[in-house]
Amino acid sequence: MKRVTTWISGLLLLFLAGCWSSQELPDLALISAVGMDATGDGQYAATFQVINPGNVAGEGTLSRGGSESPPVTTYSSTGPTMTEVNRRVSEKVSRRPYYAHTNLLVVGEQLAREEGLEKVFDAFERDPEFRTTTRVIIAEGTTAGEFVTALTSLDKIPANKVIKTLETTESFWGEHKDTNMREVLKHVGQSGHEPLVSIFTLHGDEEKGKKIDNIQTTSPEARLEATGMAVMQDGKMIDRISNEASRGALWVLDDIQKTAVSLDWKGQKDALVFQIVRNKTDVSVRIQDNLPVFDIQVSTEGEVGEAHVPINVSNPFLSGTVEKKSGEEIKKIIEQAVAKAQELQTDYLGFGELLHRKDPKLWRKLEKTWNEDHFPTVEVNVNADAYIRRSGLRNEPTFSEDVE
Amino acid sequence: MTFKLRKLSKARTTSSKSNEDEGAKTEKNEPLSDSLAQNVEAVKQKTGNSADISIREITLNDQAHTKAAVVFVEGIVDQQAIDDFLIHSLINDDDLKKNPADNILETIAEKVVALGELTRVHNHSELFQALFNGETVVLIEGFSEGVSTDTKGGESRSVDEPPTEISLRGPREGFTESIRTNTSLVRRRIKNEKLWVKSITLGKVTNTDVEIMYIDGLAESDIVQEVENRLNRINTDSILESGYIEELIEDQTATTFPTIAHSERPDVVTGNLLEGKIAIFIDGTPFVLMVPAVFVQFFQSVDDYYSRFDIATSIRLLRIIIFITSLFAPAVYVAATTFHQEMIPTQLLIVLAAQREAAPLPAVVEAILMEIIFEVLREAGVRMPKAVGQTISIVGALVIGQAAVQAGIVSPAMVIVVAVTAIASFATPSYNIAIAARLIRFVNMIAAATFGFYGIILTFIVLLIHLCSLRSFGVPYMAPLAPFDASGAGDTIIRMPWWKVKKRPALTVDGNVMRQGDNQKPSPPTDRTMK
Repeated sequence: MKRVTTWISGLLLLFLAGCWSSQELPDLALISAVGMDATGDGQYAATFQVINPGNVAGEGTLSRGGSESPPVTTYSSTGPTMTEVNRRVSEKVSRRPYYAHTNLLVVGEQLAREEGLEKVFDAFERDPEFRTTTRVIIAEGTTAGEFVTALTSLDKIPANKVIKTLETTESFWGEHKDTNMREVLKHVGQSGHEPLVSIFTLHGDEEKGKKIDNIQTTSPEARLEATGMAVMQDGKMIDRISNEASRGALWVLDDIQKTAVSLDWKGQKDALVFQIVRNKTDVSVRIQDNLPVFDIQVSTEGEVGEAHVPINVSNPFLSGTVEKKSGEEIKKIIEQAVAKAQELQTDYLGFGELLHRKDPKLWRKLEKTWNEDHFPTVEVNVNADAYIRRSGLRNEPTFSEDVE
Repeated sequence: MTFKLRKLSKARTTSSKSNEDEGAKTEKNEPLSDSLAQNVEAVKQKTGNSADISIREITLNDQAHTKAAVVFVEGIVDQQAIDDFLIHSLINDDDLKKNPADNILETIAEKVVALGELTRVHNHSELFQALFNGETVVLIEGFSEGVSTDTKGGESRSVDEPPTEISLRGPREGFTESIRTNTSLVRRRIKNEKLWVKSITLGKVTNTDVEIMYIDGLAESDIVQEVENRLNRINTDSILESGYIEELIEDQTATTFPTIAHSERPDVVTGNLLEGKIAIFIDGTPFVLMVPAVFVQFFQSVDDYYSRFDIATSIRLLRIIIFITSLFAPAVYVAATTFHQEMIPTQLLIVLAAQREAAPLPAVVEAILMEIIFEVLREAGVRMPKAVGQTISIVGALVIGQAAVQAGIVSPAMVIVVAVTAIASFATPSYNIAIAARLIRFVNMIAAATFGFYGIILTFIVLLIHLCSLRSFGVPYMAPLAPFDASGAGDTIIRMPWWKVKKRPALTVDGNVMRQGDNQKPSPPTDRTMK
């Protein structure tokens, strides 16, 4: 009897299997990127970038060469809801759409400004296949649909190109943030810390970008480029920041890993370059007269990347001056960025969140009108300490004779 | 050596006892007659006048002209010894020549025969037993008993390096087909009177010599008794190889896992004896069985003990990873590509998808097909003569590696998976556990194709439960891991250095667990100059 019970309970285990239907790889359409647009009449248009595996990998194993046909194919469809759009595309694709490897979600500027991201994200967030680690970007100047149809060289799959660009530039220059869906969702509608989403632009001829010729030249006519960051409020894009404003914002958010600042030296503009290799930003809040005051403390280490003036950086007196100047330059960048955020009346710097943690009671009072009334006028003190660790591989510039 | 081997007569008692119930007693245990002619005739008649039975008739003494016959089986005796020390003595001995007929047998037994062991035979059963054991029987006119002398000999293979268990560092000796050579190889390694050997004859037709060897005081006496009981229970016509006995005495028959270990190496058997295990030697095979066997034992290579412990440990870990690979690699591939595509990194998935793009067969069919083809190649390669074997491997490599991929029948990734699995299954030191894994691999593949990773986990759990339920002569198969035994755990998936292994594994050893003294860790003097 006991034996029978054991067997039966053992067999019952088989019915617990979650994934019933197996699917062979050739039956799946591996979607690498999804482009979402608003059509204007209240409908959504989605463009799916489907990988042609044989054209990406597998030269040598298959008799057909890989470079002749494009690495991706795109399919578009429209509908009133995201689910319908996703289902409808099956009318056009011969394989089952597979979202587990969708690494990029492109939202058209119009959709981002008018409808906001929340509605779009809901469908994706519910889907068990779709990953919340999918990168989110906003396509500017063109529709998301056009954006995902453009072919890229170097990285054959356009979605990969975008992701790798984001990752590289975030760590190398620091004007763009590599945001995924989970991070955006975490901050959407959080008045004390609004999300920032990177903006990409399709430069050049959209039509040419769709042709394989585009990647058969050394200088593609259509190229994808990161051009700034979108400022969101309540899930909608309200403005954009770029250059120093976005770099300064990331500096406050402690997202700077490596970057460089140019310094003036004795009246000569951009005479020295301070390359940052390690950075730590601490933002603290204190309450003064029942109002929050924010102190931003930047500690940064780096090396001299370039010198156009005769200067021996190994001289401790001179390097001290360079360090001080670097600190001032960084302070300037950050102050400008803070001013920009205050001007836009959007707290994407996370000040409100910080206050919430420090003084929840005060925050509850200010929360309602934080972005409009309090954030723009809040007092912010910036202090930046820079240290020169190295001068690169040499101390004095080659050309200089009279070194200080 | 104070210890004495048990006399063959004892073995005879055992065997005749086992033959009793067969009704063979009446026919075989016919007593010898007084008449030499009758006895010789009986031998001739019962052996069907076999060509290799040699009967030499001689006259013993001058006066009485007592006739005698020297009977032996050609080929299994030491002909030189018979000529020099038996026949020569019988013909030329002065005492014998003058001897009257009535006590001639005593004289032969006590004075004439210049050979080691000597016994008396009284009936036909004993006579034939002695003959086919390589002994020489002297039958004398007027006596209803014969004198049997030990003249075992004949051709046998010399002690050679064992082909199935190569070691890089360690003795080059391997067992041969001769049981006495085999026991001597072990006895040379354990020079201690506590090394005991018990003899038993098995197989009603083959009368194969089987011997149990153990170290008294180390081997658990219950287990020794159990081994004897199980061997005595065997009632079959033939024992041709250790495999016969293995199958007849194992605890659990419904399993692919070996619960009895075997080896061709005397040093392996010695090591096992020192852990309280019992060795079973079978005449006619170089393989010696060792019981009880535990799971981890099959991952221990003899080289582990001869090389540094850190290196041995890492290699042993590698072997376990290899074993798991050989069990699960194709199953994981099938499950990942047909159920869990999200678990494969995007770039890898694209490469796999590109290969599978034109593949005509589902992944699981491809996997099973390739595995079967590989097994066929392996089987063909093993049995082929060396010259042909190479052809097989070249054809196999071309068929699997090149042609099948180029023809687009199978995907290159599948070939890699099969190849990795194949190599992995050969890297397990013990062949019989590797082949168990091979069989289970197919079950895993089917489970993976039906339920994905869930199926693999299910079979894994079933496998684990099964392994834990196995016993080898009462000792849990997964010991000393489950149940955990600290004294034995030092030599499982890791090998502790010798100076750390203070105790013998308690599960197989009878009480006497201390292996070595304290402070065995080498501690050279702090003064490094070594003045």
